[in-house]
Amino acid sequence: MSNAKLAIFLPFVESARVVSMNEKETIVVDTASAGVAAPDALVRYPPGDLAIWIFILAELLVFGVFFSSYAFNRMNHVELFNQYQATLDRDAALINTLALLTSSYFVIRGVVAAREGNNRLCAHWIWGAVAMGGVFLVVKSAEYSHHIGAGISLSTNEFYMFYLSLTFFHFMHVILGMVILAAVAVKAGQGGYSREDHVGVETGASYWHMVDLVWLILFPLVYVMR
Amino acid sequence: MQYQSQSVAKPYFIAAIGLFVGQILFGLIMGLQYVIGDFMFPEIPFNVARMVHTNLLIVWLLFGFMGATYYLVPEEAERELFSPLLAHLMFWIFLIAGALTVLGYLLVPYATLAELTHNELLPTMGREFLEQPTITKLGIVVVALAFLFNIGMTILKGRKTAISLVLLIGLLGLAVFFLFAFYNPDNLAKDKYYWWFVVHLWVEGVWELILGSILAFVLIKTTGVDREVIEKWLYVIIAMALITGLVGTGHHFYWIGTPEYWQWWGSIFSALEPIPFFMMTVFAFNMVNRRRRNHPNKAAVLWAMGTAVMAFLGAGVWGFMHTLAPVNYYTHGTQITAAHGHMAFYGAYVMIVLTMISYAMPMLRGREAAPSVRSQVLEMWSFWLMTVSMVFITLFLTGAGILQVYLQRFSDNPLPFMVAQDKVELFYWMREVAGVVFLIGLIVYIASFFVGSRDPEPVAGAVEPAAAA
Amino acid sequence: MSMTEPTRQLIRPCTLVYAVLVMLTVATWAIGRLGLSGLGVAMLVLAFALFKGHLIGDWFMGLRGVRGIWRWVIAIWLMFCGGLISFAFILSYRS
Repeated sequence: MSNAKLAIFLPFVESARVVSMNEKETIVVDTASAGVAAPDALVRYPPGDLAIWIFILAELLVFGVFFSSYAFNRMNHVELFNQYQATLDRDAALINTLALLTSSYFVIRGVVAAREGNNRLCAHWIWGAVAMGGVFLVVKSAEYSHHIGAGISLSTNEFYMFYLSLTFFHFMHVILGMVILAAVAVKAGQGGYSREDHVGVETGASYWHMVDLVWLILFPLVYVMR
Repeated sequence: MQYQSQSVAKPYFIAAIGLFVGQILFGLIMGLQYVIGDFMFPEIPFNVARMVHTNLLIVWLLFGFMGATYYLVPEEAERELFSPLLAHLMFWIFLIAGALTVLGYLLVPYATLAELTHNELLPTMGREFLEQPTITKLGIVVVALAFLFNIGMTILKGRKTAISLVLLIGLLGLAVFFLFAFYNPDNLAKDKYYWWFVVHLWVEGVWELILGSILAFVLIKTTGVDREVIEKWLYVIIAMALITGLVGTGHHFYWIGTPEYWQWWGSIFSALEPIPFFMMTVFAFNMVNRRRRNHPNKAAVLWAMGTAVMAFLGAGVWGFMHTLAPVNYYTHGTQITAAHGHMAFYGAYVMIVLTMISYAMPMLRGREAAPSVRSQVLEMWSFWLMTVSMVFITLFLTGAGILQVYLQRFSDNPLPFMVAQDKVELFYWMREVAGVVFLIGLIVYIASFFVGSRDPEPVAGAVEPAAAA
Repeated sequence: MSMTEPTRQLIRPCTLVYAVLVMLTVATWAIGRLGLSGLGVAMLVLAFALFKGHLIGDWFMGLRGVRGIWRWVIAIWLMFCGGLISFAFILSYRS
């Protein structure tokens, strides 16, 4: 089953979620996290390791606080925010949003492939998702270099401070998400998942969807709403 | 005790407790000096007592961390410590250097100490908590390096677990961030900026990794819950600690002349710093509820759960109260700060060291698994005495702080500092009484090591079969 | 609907959801392109975003097949964010 050495670093990816307290040799696994398809029955926990969902909720909390801070700060500087919002590259943001949506779609196709026990197909879809994430990074970096070239920094004004902070924080999460997906893709490429046990794929997928979800709020909030 | 070399932890723990007593005595001296200004003046002026109090705290906690590490790493790595001799040697070097430093604070004027220790060659003296002479600081680096080498070699050649790796990362971070103590810029804003790289990134950063891993170790041992489950929680907790704590350093950069965006970054991220502590509380209680056996050392389990709760209250809740920039604008540097500082340090770091000592010391003294019933009863009394009195210390200082903020900063006619201090005097008297109770608790704690030490092992009851989760 | 029986329908449900997400995204971008502003427009754009988020949670993250409180975690987060953001925007249009 799991590579003991790797288990230290990837408990989320490697281990099935323990639901009842048995000896280690007879771990009882919740069907949801084991990824066994239960098309009609409702399950108790979301797909993937529960620990990643705790992490997802915490991340959503951080971003939620950030979004609210943006909105409330904007209240005091409406003209400023409107003025500098207009200087942002909305077309780049469109490409980025489409890239992330597409990558999330690819991730789902990858999860479906894993559920059917098709490791190779799963790996291909997940790598595709990583590539789409790469598109996001490239476009965002281009945006940043344009801003920096124009002499814009965190201290320029409140709008840019929020814009740069928010998007950079998200940027870091895209990178982390891509690393997680890459780990999943590598393992799939080595035939590491099966119909019975593909919790890792669902775990990585859940995290990536969160990254996408956050951007779906960020894009309209920062680039469009005025 | 599974490995002979775990016994090196014992002197570290004993030194820790001894220095803890010293710390509290000087705390009481200062508490009295708050209300009787010339108490023990000029023999032990307030600023000297303060240096001794804070420096002893840090040093005894470091002894505690090292002892905890020397105890748990051989067990986790499933092999003997790389060099018990090195561990013993470093113990004496650290203890003697520490003792000499404290004596230096007490016996000579600080400026003289600076001259005697040739501070001018590489000036590092004169900053809060980092008052040690440069040679002491260099000594600390040497001890830390030897310690890390010893532990690193042990882990390298043995079984690697999430607990030992997280602990090691925390300890490495502790050593690396201490190096900033040697960076002493002339520019005051930069000076303060980098000072926090030591202090914040210690207590709201890498020390949380140390705390989490020790707590996880004790919970595995006392509850029997599956290692995988506990280690998973540990990863989530430290991830949250680092995500919130690293950028959260910004909550110290509001008013020191750094750019304004720190007021936003610092507020947003530090507001979320309570999350890992909340998770630790849920984690500790959850693991104990799902335990597969009743460990005979009930005192250790009490300390473990108490640590999570008090850390959450002191570091999390009290920290949150004054972390947002608009609030901190008024509360900065007041008794609110002192209230938070005391409960946070006690709840998180004092208590985790005492938890580990509670768990490990019986085995280090040759017992099977736990102190006798009589010992544990006394120990649990000491837990409640110290913890409840600390809560009262914190409440009284919070009261003093709120009044101070209002009178000195917020009201329409702000009062000067000393006038405001005069008006909050009653809180300081009450704090001192609570402090005396704390000392009583500490004495009871020490007594628990001697009372009933020859009584038989306690019998652990069976736990009911666990219901489905 | 199950996502593991692709041969039974012409188009996978998630593909359909993806298409809807893309359309809403383009709509949002177009509104931005046209430079439309005002509270009504902003609220509409926000509504689009919250709906898209809900689709992600339900369909992409698989919460549709979950019972109990976990079913609603993303929706609750969206409501909180949406609520606070709307509140701030409404106040800013008042002043």
